[in-house]
Amino acid sequence: MIEIQNLSKSFGHPVLCDVSLVVPMGCLYGLIGPGASGKSVLLKMITGLMRPDTGSVSVDGQNVQALTDIELASFRLKFGMLFQNNALFDFMTVADNIAFPLRRMLEVPEAEIRQRVEERLRAVSLGGFGERAPSGLSGGQKKRVGVARATVTRAPIIFYDEPAAGLDPVTSQKIFDLLRDEQRRAKQTVIMVSSDIDRLLTVTDRIGMMYRGSLVFDGTTDEALHSEDARVKQFVHGLTEGPL
Amino acid sequence: MNGTAALALAPLTRARDALYDLAGTMGQMGIVAARIVLRLVHVDLDGRELLRNLYKMGVKSLPIVVVTALFTGAIMVIQAAPIVQRYGAQGLLGWGAGFGTLREIGPLLTALMISGRVGANNTAELGTMTVTEQIDALRALAIDPVAFLVVPRFIAIVATLFFSTLYADALALFGAAYAGDALIGVEPMTFYNGLVSGLLGIGDVMNGLVKSVIFGIMIGLSSCHFGLSVTGGAPGVGRAVNATVVTSAAGIFVVDYLVSFLLG
Amino acid sequence: MTDSAFEIERQDSGALAVVGRRAMSLAAAAREQYGVLVRTLYYVARGKMEPGMLAHQMYEIGNRSLFFLTVVMGFIGTILCLQAGIQTKRVVPDLSMLGASYLELLVRDLAASIVALMLATRVGAGIAAEIGSMVVTEQVDALRMCAADPIDYLVKPRFLASIVMTTALTIWSGGVAIVTGTITADVVFQVSPHTFWNLSLVHASDLLICIVKCLAYGAAIPIVSATSGLSTFGGSEGVGWATTRAVVNSSLAVIILNFLISSAGFFAFHGR
Repeated sequence: MIEIQNLSKSFGHPVLCDVSLVVPMGCLYGLIGPGASGKSVLLKMITGLMRPDTGSVSVDGQNVQALTDIELASFRLKFGMLFQNNALFDFMTVADNIAFPLRRMLEVPEAEIRQRVEERLRAVSLGGFGERAPSGLSGGQKKRVGVARATVTRAPIIFYDEPAAGLDPVTSQKIFDLLRDEQRRAKQTVIMVSSDIDRLLTVTDRIGMMYRGSLVFDGTTDEALHSEDARVKQFVHGLTEGPL
Repeated sequence: MNGTAALALAPLTRARDALYDLAGTMGQMGIVAARIVLRLVHVDLDGRELLRNLYKMGVKSLPIVVVTALFTGAIMVIQAAPIVQRYGAQGLLGWGAGFGTLREIGPLLTALMISGRVGANNTAELGTMTVTEQIDALRALAIDPVAFLVVPRFIAIVATLFFSTLYADALALFGAAYAGDALIGVEPMTFYNGLVSGLLGIGDVMNGLVKSVIFGIMIGLSSCHFGLSVTGGAPGVGRAVNATVVTSAAGIFVVDYLVSFLLG
Repeated sequence: MTDSAFEIERQDSGALAVVGRRAMSLAAAAREQYGVLVRTLYYVARGKMEPGMLAHQMYEIGNRSLFFLTVVMGFIGTILCLQAGIQTKRVVPDLSMLGASYLELLVRDLAASIVALMLATRVGAGIAAEIGSMVVTEQVDALRMCAADPIDYLVKPRFLASIVMTTALTIWSGGVAIVTGTITADVVFQVSPHTFWNLSLVHASDLLICIVKCLAYGAAIPIVSATSGLSTFGGSEGVGWATTRAVVNSSLAVIILNFLISSAGFFAFHGR
């Protein structure tokens, strides 16, 4: 379970303002909000990639800010992360990209690595792409390799930052369904950031909405759809008229 | 050709490719030079851009020039010290440090540091503008990018190099004088006498300054060329900066040799 | 480490504040470099080494700089000899010690320092650009998420490769400069190679200073440039700036180290 308490961060201008929320175990949590509202920063704080000015994050009872660099390395075994721009290592092949966390974090034998990489590639419909270089892939293909790399370690907590950005509607839906099926099957705790509200709401259990660094809504998907808060209503239903 | 022969000739092949690249780059820079000269002739110069670039390049490079010059002066004295002590030639320290600084080290090091700072910056700026299509936007607004962007920067770079070299020469000799005093007890007065004793003349100073102008032209041309010809997005900008810095550095030494040889 | 780049200092004006701020940011920069150096050394002792990474970096630094350095050092050898000869003739008509002084200067200072300045330019820019691009595309964050500390994975191989290759390239370049210097002395000043190749002034202490310089420069350049690369901010534009910072700071580091090592060498071996 992920507990966030009064998180604040400022880079000269405020980026996070006193954010508090709880993501229960096994929940598929959707994080939405207009651009630059602090969603990616929040994700990075949970994994310790960034430090807050005030507040704290604890994951399964462990306070993230209290961890040393060495402890952070083993802490991150709990996580798989898909970055907003994929962040594929452009100096390795697709297969090596996906295998990297297995080689680096876990002592998995080579034969098993190959097998798991192939399995992940097939799961994201990229079977046989192992020897390709990331620079030669389309945006959608890179995104899917990113998903494969994020899930290959079978970590219990996965963060997807814009998993379907730039994908056509059919592929988008396939990705969302795939991620939801994986989450149900492996009982993962997932936080998903996406601007594709309609599709996102079909897979989430809970929703959190951020606006200008503050958390303006935290509740179940149903509550989000029927919320009376003007900002939430406008964003969730994609209306042009409103406070946003 | 078979495998082993190809492998043995690989360094030669690489050298050949490098020479081709060099020739190509020289040619392209010549084209940029021609464009600049044409614009200069029509005096279609944006004064404000010129001033802005002079400030950005000249004034803001000053700290680096100062630090480099002072340390370099001291290093030269340290290197010359054993020789001076060996021959007891205290009076010649000023001459020794002087000719090295004025003719070679002053212009060379200043050019290298400015190339690293100003040249690379310039390429990064122009490169980013190219990649974000701002150059095309200028053209669409019927503003000639070469006249508006390149010429002021070019002039600013040459001017920066000239004045920086002058300043660096003075500072390096200053640093050398005090290092000489501190390290081997050569009085600053003795050092000064050695400088003006007649072994060094205004010709040595001019030699260095002519070099600095030519270095400036070199750095200006290469940084503008590589900046404007960036392809491949953001990584391309990084590559272009890399290319500028390397080409300028190599070019500076080649030009230095030629000028030393010609001016004797 | 990414956070510090975003801290905005209070904009007090006034001369003392400006100087103070400069000094403080210089001190902060020095502290950061030191931190990176310490962590790199830690990982040299304890970290994992990717197979082939070290060799790849050594190739990048060494082979790719070879042509460039050979050309530059060739010219330097000639220029150095030319200038030394011209000036010496003004004072003393006998050029028999030209070679001796030339070799002494080359070994004690010039070979290592000039190679280092050239590498600071080429290798420094390259490392900063590579690492900077990776920061901007979040690959460095991705490395951290996969328990690969960027200092261990990215900086360490470049650090080791640079130390080795700087030394190797200095030896090679020294050789090239000696060759061109000898030719110049013969052609321009009619000093025979036999007279020129006078090693009487080159002592063991000079060789020691040369090696120390190679190691110091070889260590400094990747640390300084990698620090610039890792502190890239401002999106893809920031990569260009990081490269610039890396080249300037690496060059400055070489010059300052030169001064420190030369001074130390002078006091150790020549006394006062």
